[in-house]
Amino acid sequence: MLEIKNLHATVGGKPILKGLNLKVSDGEVHAIMGPNGAGKSTLGNVIAGRDGYDVTAGEVLYKGADLLQLEPEERACEGIFLAFQYPVEIPGVNNTYFLRAALNAQRKYRGEPELDSMQFLKLVREKLHILHISDDLMHRAVNEGFSGGEKKRNEIFQMAVLEPSLAILDETDSGLDIDALRLVAEGVNRLRSEDRSIIVVTHYQRLLDHIVPDVVHVLADGKIVASGDADLALKLEEKGYTWLEQGGIQPLNEEARV
Amino acid sequence: MSNTQALSTADKWFRAYQALDQTADPGWMQSLRENAAKQLSVNGLPHRKIEEWKYTPLRRLENLELQTRNQREIPPVDTQFPAAIAEPSALVIDISDGSLQSRQETPDGLTINSLAGGLGKYEDRLRSLCEATDLSGPGRAFAALNTAFLDQGLLIHAGAGVKAGSILIRWAFSPAEAARLDNFRVFVLLDAGAELAVIEQFESTVGTENALNVISQVELGKGAALEHVRVQLESDRCSLLTSTSIRQAADSRYTYSGFDLGGGLVRHEIDASLTGPGAHAEIRGAFVLDGSRYVDNHVSVDHVSAGCTSQQFFRGVLGGRSRGVFNGRALIRAGADGSVVKQSNANLLLSGLAEMDTKPELEIYADEVEASHGATVGQLDEAAVFYLRTRGLSDAQARRMLTAAFCHAVTDQLENRTLADRLSVLLDEAMPDEPPETGRED
Ligand SMILES: Nc1ncnc2c1ncn2[C@@H]1O[C@H](COP(=O)(O)OP(=O)(O)O)[C@@H](O)[C@H]1O
Ligand SMILES: [Mg+2]
Repeated sequence: MLEIKNLHATVGGKPILKGLNLKVSDGEVHAIMGPNGAGKSTLGNVIAGRDGYDVTAGEVLYKGADLLQLEPEERACEGIFLAFQYPVEIPGVNNTYFLRAALNAQRKYRGEPELDSMQFLKLVREKLHILHISDDLMHRAVNEGFSGGEKKRNEIFQMAVLEPSLAILDETDSGLDIDALRLVAEGVNRLRSEDRSIIVVTHYQRLLDHIVPDVVHVLADGKIVASGDADLALKLEEKGYTWLEQGGIQPLNEEARV
Repeated sequence: MSNTQALSTADKWFRAYQALDQTADPGWMQSLRENAAKQLSVNGLPHRKIEEWKYTPLRRLENLELQTRNQREIPPVDTQFPAAIAEPSALVIDISDGSLQSRQETPDGLTINSLAGGLGKYEDRLRSLCEATDLSGPGRAFAALNTAFLDQGLLIHAGAGVKAGSILIRWAFSPAEAARLDNFRVFVLLDAGAELAVIEQFESTVGTENALNVISQVELGKGAALEHVRVQLESDRCSLLTSTSIRQAADSRYTYSGFDLGGGLVRHEIDASLTGPGAHAEIRGAFVLDGSRYVDNHVSVDHVSAGCTSQQFFRGVLGGRSRGVFNGRALIRAGADGSVVKQSNANLLLSGLAEMDTKPELEIYADEVEASHGATVGQLDEAAVFYLRTRGLSDAQARRMLTAAFCHAVTDQLENRTLADRLSVLLDEAMPDEPPETGRED
């Protein structure tokens, strides 16, 4: 699904990613943990194609092809979804209108017929129901005046509607109460399938109680410094990142190194 | 326009005035015209040194010929408007090349007539309105021009308590050999408690240069309500100058919603005078500019009486080398205590060559006044553009969506939601496809 080799990237000229390697196979869920400022969001933004995040070396292959030459919307249409750490408020753009336009843009790209508003409404109702999200979210402007939790729910809801092949959830669990956390996990677990992959960026083990990852990575100073199974997250939770820095874990396992 | 040029254009127009045949008209009208023509001849046209007009590119009006009555056959309006904006039940009035084309049967209590036709019954009211028009100084040259050629006009009158529904006025030009400037006057008189919606649509699909100079005079009796909507979709070879003055008695309500989505040179002057307690004026508009188009809104609200409220709310989108002006004035006179005044003007520049001049002016001489104002000129939020693109929308789609949303702040304020929805559609269609400006070379 996704293969990142020796990725170096700068943000505003400052080197942030410094030789990052990561391979996510079809159907896998990977968790990325790591201290603040390590470059986790930068990785998400580079994969999504944000301006100002410049790749200076290395490559990113998505479904076997060079991802970096695609525009952000092409990446989206190819099935990449980034749930933002800080979803953007867009006053005046109605959530339903926006999401239908987005879904139809993607369908058009894939040569599928666009959904009219009735068909779309039906789809939206289904997804809202499954995720236990109240439909007043749909009548409001995108993220405008949403609480932190509502914004995160809205990201998950968009993901459920757009059904990406590769979803990157950037701290979607931060600041959520336990119910919202379950909802996020539910959204992710429902999406799990053999031909989809998910990268969950998180600080907390508690999300991983609900979404059991296939692989856990530690990202520090722009590199993946350790990878392991779900137990790694437990150990990190217990001992903190300093434990890592003091050499508490073996170097990267070969699988994660590519 | 240079001083000398301004004078010679005014002279040319003065000579056209001298050629008018006025023999059939009442004496007061003849002397009104004469006085106005003299003002025009003495003062000339506005030029860059006149503060109120310093941005207005009047040069494009220089070569226009004045059209006087009975010179041509006028074909009926053939509307190309992309969508109906008024309800199907609205009475339709066509004004083509500055001439009133059609009058319909009107319900009881509502009168629609031409200026000439209205002179019998309404002569005193019309005369005092005409004579009240300020013609002094070069800043009022287009009012003087309009008055010197006072001839074609539309009178709308709703009697006390009449709920008169809505009227759609369709302004259009027919193909003409000569580049032309037409003058027209509209009178809207609503007696106490009357209610009316007047929707004006301006379109001109013909390629010739033309200009329309309209003076509208509105009188709202106690508790009367006028909803006034203007949608302008003219070609960029058209100029439109409007001057609307509204006198409002106690508890009357005036709402103006102007949408300038076309036109080359457009200037609206809107002056509301709140003369009775509890009067309310809500003046809002959106304009979308590209190319080298120019739109100017000069709004002025005069709080004469206590306890009145007013709002000015404009949104502008400027691309290309276009230029926009918003001049919003509110005067709270001594004694107009407890007035509430709100002003807001926000603008989006889509291009580094576009320019917006925004100037809110608040003058307060009364007590316990609640006033707020804000003016901004900014760019699209690139974080929002990126967010939309990560969901699959193209860069152009994302920008259009955000730009339209910015303008919807205006339609959102309309109480009539069906009308608001129709206007939103027009707005969406008018969004420019402006390539992103900077910082995307990487
Ligand atoms: N837009 C930006 N401009 C400059 N520096 C940035 C920008 N965004 C992030 N950074 C810097 O990049 C580094 C990594 O940030 P980020 O990827 O957000 O870390 P994480 O998500 O792991 O907490 C930090 O030092 C941060 O200050
Ligand atoms: Mg982050």
